Amino acid sequence: MSMPAAGVAVDTITTARVLAAFATQVRVVNALILRETKTRYGNYKIGFLWALIEPLVGVSVFVAIFSNLRSDSPSGMPLVAFMLVGFICYGLFRDPWSCMQGAISNSRNLLTFPQVSTFDVILARGILEILVTFFVLGFLLYMAHLSGFEVRCERPLGVLIVCCLLCIFGLGMGFLFASLEPLIPSIKQFGSTVLGRPLYFSSGLFFSAETIPESVREYLLYNPVLHMIELVRGEFFYEFETAHGSWSYASAWAFTTLAVGLLMHQAVHKRAIITK
Amino acid sequence: MISLRNVSKKYRTQAGYKVVLDNVSVEFPVGKSVGILGLNGAGKSTLIRIIGDAEPADSGTVHCDQRVSWPLGYAGGFQGNLTARENARFVARIYGESTRYVEEFTREFSELGEYFDEPLKSYSAGMQGRFAFSVSLACNFEYYLVDEALETGDARYREKFRMAFEERRANASVILVSHNEQTIRRNCDMAAILHEGSLVLYEDLKDALLEYNILQNQPR
Repeated sequence: MSMPAAGVAVDTITTARVLAAFATQVRVVNALILRETKTRYGNYKIGFLWALIEPLVGVSVFVAIFSNLRSDSPSGMPLVAFMLVGFICYGLFRDPWSCMQGAISNSRNLLTFPQVSTFDVILARGILEILVTFFVLGFLLYMAHLSGFEVRCERPLGVLIVCCLLCIFGLGMGFLFASLEPLIPSIKQFGSTVLGRPLYFSSGLFFSAETIPESVREYLLYNPVLHMIELVRGEFFYEFETAHGSWSYASAWAFTTLAVGLLMHQAVHKRAIITK
Repeated sequence: MISLRNVSKKYRTQAGYKVVLDNVSVEFPVGKSVGILGLNGAGKSTLIRIIGDAEPADSGTVHCDQRVSWPLGYAGGFQGNLTARENARFVARIYGESTRYVEEFTREFSELGEYFDEPLKSYSAGMQGRFAFSVSLACNFEYYLVDEALETGDARYREKFRMAFEERRANASVILVSHNEQTIRRNCDMAAILHEGSLVLYEDLKDALLEYNILQNQPR
């Protein structure tokens, strides 16, 4: 091979190269997901159970409170399914976000391998988290059904689409925070307290927007997650059609956040590798 | 062949920027094992990480048209809380090799015995080095990037690795970073010296070692 003159690019982009690069990426992300599963769930005997226990505890607490507080279910929806859908769908947004943010700092070792990129380690965590949460959603709804609670889904495809919006929003937040975390470590605390807590209480996990006084609702509806939870309940329950969830507002937030997250990753990932 | 073109790299430290590589252009010839000598902190490890694409250079390009290993060190690249078996499978997957073959080869060659199913973090440095080498040998690279780790392990095991590399000499070469002359003399055909941002390649190993001796004894 002869050396090209300095400054002349030798790597022309061909279809074969793009396909090969894509195949490598799929292989790497797959390997990372398997590894992540091992480190997260493999070391404990009841590993996977924790993924079920966390939403179960949240749901049971609120079901207990609400079934004592008032007899009627919120806006006519069956209480248990109402809570399950709210809490677990919120997980589709929160879990990828919270899990992805430490991806670069915790996988520094793996970045030694040339084919493992920061993008891969962040994405692998997001995918694993989304898969687990979808599994938990299906499993717990089925369990609720078996236990005699009313679980009937009106438009499964609609539910799936809103779930995807939640995932996209979560992935966007994940990429944004994961890229910045090595440079600004305190961003994790910022995310979990300043953003996470208010979002948890204002996203309609245990209420529907209809039941909130209008003066407050006006402000709550700035929260895109509330829109998504409203939409997912509207698609899920026969008894409920949302008057407040907006598809365009929810998707605008989800896709814009994903774009911002990916751009941020592109902008800082080289610096993020080096910062120890 | 591996070649670097106008590669520069600097780090920010408390005292300002430290230049590790200053517009380095070098070509490592095919089939030659090259040792890279340099004083402590000269940037040898950074250089090998840039060659192995584990870290981006600030500017310039690195080209290689052969299968190059990841930079082999004590534990670099591996997950401490996973076992050697799981780490071997991970490496096999990302390189697209058969997981069963890599796993078996590594288990045999590393002679880790029952430790093979223990988490890597419980290993001594020598054992980690043994594991890293065994996995990389299982993957049949054409270039092995080695960061000091050859000096780990007991003498008998070092010899075993040397033999394994010797066998592969026909189609595999080593780029070896070390500040130990002995290691370089035993494993390399030629050597380069990294000093104050510039990398000078010597055709003759003896010249390089002589030069390095002068450098080491210079008052600083």
